[in-house]
Amino acid sequence: MTSLKRSYAADPNASNLASKVYVRSTKSGKVQKIVGELYLRQDIPCSSKLCSQCLSIAPADYKNEVQRFVLSETPAGTKRFPNGHYLVPDTNAFLNGMDLFEVETAFHDVIVLQTVLEEVKNRSLPLYHRVVSLTKNEDKRFYVFFNEFRLETYVPRRHGETINDRNDRAVRHAVNWYGEHLAQAVKTRRSARCPSVVMISDDRDNLKKAELDGISGLSLSNYVSGLDDANRLLDMISGTREERDRKAGKVELIYPEYFSLSKMITGIKAETLHQGIFNVSPYNYLEGSVQVPAFDRALLVLGRENSNRAVSGDVVVVEILPKDQWKAPSSKILEEESVNKNENADTEEGEAVFTERERRALQEEVRKTHGQSKEGRPQPTARVVGVIKRNWRQYVGHIDKDSVKSSAKQSRTQQTVFLIPMDKRIPKIRVRTRQAGELLGKRVLVTIDSWDRESRYPVGHFVRSLGELETKGAETEALLLEYDVQYRPFPKTVLDCLPAEGHDWKVPASLDDPGWIGRRDLRDLLVCSIDPPGCVDIDDALHARPLPNGNFEVGVHIADVSHFVKPNNAMDKEASTRGTTVYLVDKRIDMLPMLLGTDLCSLKPYVERYAFSVIWEVTADGDIVKSEFTKSVIRSREAFAYEQAQARIDDKSQRDDLTLGMRTLLMLSKKLKQKRMDAGALNLASPEVRVQAESETSDPVDVQTKQMLDTNSLVEEFMLLANISVAGKNYEAFPQTALLRRHAAPPKTNFEELANQLKVKRGMELRTESSKALADSLDTCVDPSEPFFNTLVRIMATRCMMSAEYFCSGTQAYPEFRHYGLASEIYTHFTSPIRRYADLEAHRQLAAAIEYEQLDQSLLSKGKLEAVCKNINVRHRNAQMAGRASIEYYVGQALKGRVIDEEGFVMKVFSNGFVVFVPRFGVESLVRLRDLGTPEPEGSFDNENYVLTASGSRDAKVELFQKVMVRISDEQEESTGKRKIRLQLL
Amino acid sequence: MAPSSTTQVLLSPAELSYLHSSLALSPPIRPDGRSSTQFRPLVAESDILPGANGSARVCFPDGTEAIVGVKAEVEKSRWRPSEEHGVHLGTSGGDLEMDNDDEEEEVSGKSAGKGVGENSWAEISIEIPGFRDDDALPVFLAAMLTEALLACGELKDRLYINRGFHWKLYIDILLLSQPLSYPLPLLSLTTHLALLSARLPKLKSELDEDPLFDDDWDASAYLYPRDSAGKRLYRPPVTLLVMAVGGNIIFDPTTEELAVAEAVLAVSVGDSTSSPKAPSAPSNLRLLSIRTIDPPSRLTPPGVANSMNTATGGSAPTSSQDAVAEREGMEQQGVWNPPRGGMRRKLVGKMIKTVVEEGGVAEEVLDGLAAVES
Repeated sequence: MTSLKRSYAADPNASNLASKVYVRSTKSGKVQKIVGELYLRQDIPCSSKLCSQCLSIAPADYKNEVQRFVLSETPAGTKRFPNGHYLVPDTNAFLNGMDLFEVETAFHDVIVLQTVLEEVKNRSLPLYHRVVSLTKNEDKRFYVFFNEFRLETYVPRRHGETINDRNDRAVRHAVNWYGEHLAQAVKTRRSARCPSVVMISDDRDNLKKAELDGISGLSLSNYVSGLDDANRLLDMISGTREERDRKAGKVELIYPEYFSLSKMITGIKAETLHQGIFNVSPYNYLEGSVQVPAFDRALLVLGRENSNRAVSGDVVVVEILPKDQWKAPSSKILEEESVNKNENADTEEGEAVFTERERRALQEEVRKTHGQSKEGRPQPTARVVGVIKRNWRQYVGHIDKDSVKSSAKQSRTQQTVFLIPMDKRIPKIRVRTRQAGELLGKRVLVTIDSWDRESRYPVGHFVRSLGELETKGAETEALLLEYDVQYRPFPKTVLDCLPAEGHDWKVPASLDDPGWIGRRDLRDLLVCSIDPPGCVDIDDALHARPLPNGNFEVGVHIADVSHFVKPNNAMDKEASTRGTTVYLVDKRIDMLPMLLGTDLCSLKPYVERYAFSVIWEVTADGDIVKSEFTKSVIRSREAFAYEQAQARIDDKSQRDDLTLGMRTLLMLSKKLKQKRMDAGALNLASPEVRVQAESETSDPVDVQTKQMLDTNSLVEEFMLLANISVAGKNYEAFPQTALLRRHAAPPKTNFEELANQLKVKRGMELRTESSKALADSLDTCVDPSEPFFNTLVRIMATRCMMSAEYFCSGTQAYPEFRHYGLASEIYTHFTSPIRRYADLEAHRQLAAAIEYEQLDQSLLSKGKLEAVCKNINVRHRNAQMAGRASIEYYVGQALKGRVIDEEGFVMKVFSNGFVVFVPRFGVESLVRLRDLGTPEPEGSFDNENYVLTASGSRDAKVELFQKVMVRISDEQEESTGKRKIRLQLL
Repeated sequence: MAPSSTTQVLLSPAELSYLHSSLALSPPIRPDGRSSTQFRPLVAESDILPGANGSARVCFPDGTEAIVGVKAEVEKSRWRPSEEHGVHLGTSGGDLEMDNDDEEEEVSGKSAGKGVGENSWAEISIEIPGFRDDDALPVFLAAMLTEALLACGELKDRLYINRGFHWKLYIDILLLSQPLSYPLPLLSLTTHLALLSARLPKLKSELDEDPLFDDDWDASAYLYPRDSAGKRLYRPPVTLLVMAVGGNIIFDPTTEELAVAEAVLAVSVGDSTSSPKAPSAPSNLRLLSIRTIDPPSRLTPPGVANSMNTATGGSAPTSSQDAVAEREGMEQQGVWNPPRGGMRRKLVGKMIKTVVEEGGVAEEVLDGLAAVES
């Protein structure tokens, strides 16, 4: 017998062909062996400007242009590499020091190998995106070299070699090749300086082998210490590795190990484990909750051991604890800084998950829940057994000054300090730094690198400093970072999409212009806009006029943004990622460039503008006879502020047509509102205040609650009507892909607590079976002696609701489209395209629905629309929170140094404190028992009646909904570094 | 009785008779001069299909050639309530207990792993040019190969992943050439080689979790596992075709030889690992199955003896029944008489012994195949 084996290598034609084999597991559980072929080329350039050979062979694109070479001819040198150097980072260099590579002063001329890029992608998707965006940054000169596709640098895997070893070898091989290639290039140029090619790797083994191969390789920290500003840069290396090296010995493992991924997936499928997003209670940092589909109510996760290194926002897998460990949600405020003060960040000896004090605090809790009557309904508790996805981001915070040992600025010794994040739900982060002294009292940005089983707190590293605490710049930036608001100026590619005429753009005079095609000339209508004072981005304008048949014609005209922002260009993409304009007290972060938002699209008075109009015929009773939609050209006659408009309407002497039109609008809006209310729309309330700022410095001087005028509701009614009409039209035209907005009915359990509170405290009944019932029962919650009580209840009811969301019509059944709060069957956003991306998409869909233009493909794909909805939902929520946080900050600033006595209402009672809401400033704040007097008074908490009785140094009885007088002063909150108001019970 | 081989050999009764008598000599004289246990040289290679888990190609010198691809897919096992595993009902409180159960099972798992496999987990399909897949020949061949494959129980158990999942093995056999001779040995040898080279992705998950596999193909393990020294613990079976002429036992018969065979047996042999033997023991082969094959010689035209030929003064029988009856009694040299009837027990015993015995033919074949490099 003979055996025969042909080998690919023996085939002379196959020298540029390699194959790779791997196993792929598909979603459906199939396991496939995949063979991929790999064609090796020789025309992949090295992209160094030193090299003329590569330039001659580099492939050209369809415009017959060769891609510009990236790497500089004269790269920066260091002491070690006086001739300049190119960097070739290994995967772990990116993983450990991504922030370093993003520094502007160093790390130029970097060759990112394909091997490395792919490994980074496998290890961490966010990091991969950051590397890719770096390669697009021209100043940084990052070049992706496809070493796996170039014949000379391709490395076949050796028999028995691990993938890691092969990749390391590929990196070394590429470094080696670059070195030789450059030497060759320099020789042909006859220049003296040949830059070194330096491999950066944190893998000792790899470095050792590099040394054997004669390649210069350095560890990240070694390399950085040779740079200027090394101290600052060294802090930016991820803390994990060093830490691990340091503690190579045996350490006590504090946290239980995570389950393996397969075990978790099996468990989730079998429903023995549950997956959900881990949320930490803002009042109690040791209490988290996970909402899972299998249970109506969120599962409680109590204590550090059970939350097992999960950070608020992570997607976790939990296991339900046995029933005897179920508990009621805590009625106690626990703040990290008050429990765990004076911890030393450096020592870890004998560190247990719970400090003794934490344990005591929690034990008290347990005793309390055990002693409770049966009605204390224990909730299922759970423990985290694994994390599916970390949602760690960069966190803004400040350094705990107690954790700094030597605060001398000159001291350059490395020490470990605690960073206290601004977000109270995030645990302290242990950061090693050499610049502790300098960073004290500053807002700093850090990242969490890891959270090992042996460490009580996550380990992170410092990214950059935003500036002094409580300076406007630093605080605003902190806020924007915390809420992930994209605030960088618009890039050039976006600005290139603007009309070339700039501010001189005008509606074409000639009616034959292509811009007029399909557009109705509505310039003779008496249109006006009503907005908040000082508004420059005017989205909407209105008109009304009587018709000969006794009905009225009412028009809502919306800025025609979709005319300027075409789908899929750079501006559209940017707007789609921004999702919404963010309004801060002193600043507006636009979704669209200023030119469009405040000029070309804005429906300014006295000039002609493109608009998208919705025109109804309405009877005097407010019934819609017919509605139509058209692109149009309008000329607004006046831009009113709400007060102005109100004054004009109320002024009996004004009898011109514009004013008459406005009166008609007002009359109709009241009828519309009544209809809506009859249908069960909710009149909800949220505390809204305005911070009055000094015009020049925009320093806050006063705080006012917003006033509601009739004209506010006039505009609101017609906008709602337009949105509803458009939603119907879009849905009719695109039943699968209309972008709509829904507000789900809140689950009954959401209202349970509030209903019980009202029943116990006031004997009132809150009915929640429908929005109509809720609206009616809210109307009955009146305390004749206290007009604000009703508003308070509404505020609390609002918090029980779900948040409204954008969705794609094909993903829900029609009954699910309902907007609970507005009691409308279908709803979308159409009226603010300048500041909301959803409206822009609705415009495009409506334009296609009336056959004005073709619909872009992206708006026909359910998947893409869903992605858009997901993003704008998040952006919308973030923008709201950023706005609120900004107001909160400015309220704090406005009250700085002042002491005011004001009345407030108790919103929530805990066993060791209570929350007071002050309507005058729209703020709520916690009053702890220990704030009542020193020593801390004894508190006895009546859980069923929501009464907290303090005795001892101060005798007081606080109950829910009670009106109390509080003294408002300001203080800088130690835990977050925010200036916040502080309330004292009088 | 198996369907006989396909192509008729075009040999005259005289030629058949000559062939028969030379094969019946002691020692037999074969047309190609081989000894009775000698195999024809063959060309073999394995691991030739990159996309399959295992594969092989074997080419016999008579031009017949076959390719075998082995593919393994993860499949959900049917839920079997058995005493061994007990019945677990998912109660929320019982989670902890269940975990303990699993661990205990794992401890004793090594021995309890026996007999967990099912016969349906391996499937053989055979493609022969000119035959439909439900024709007798491919179906019968597949049945014979499957029988041998499953007869050694280790393979089935090897396919067990956990209580919920198993590997399903698809063995696709493709005969490239016309079935000139009876293709069973060719297909069996090719299948054997393909199975030897077959590998399964490495399992990363534990116990009864949904299986997760290492995406590194190099980490995969052989379907027929090897010990640390690289020696296979047990091997796939081979099925050999053995024929008898006179008292002689002849291996690897050619088409012509089969045309005069008095009896043909398909003997399947595999490693015997059930009895713990020292690994140094040279041979521990065991017989897996035997099937008799209807030899094509039965359909050959008989020679006409002088006594039955009117031209030579004989008297022709009046009916074919008479002819058969007359031929039965005749034992005449030089006149071809198609064999009829069964085999003798003793002969069968002898055949098996030659195959299985230490240093026997099967051992030689298996060792030869093991030497084929992948």
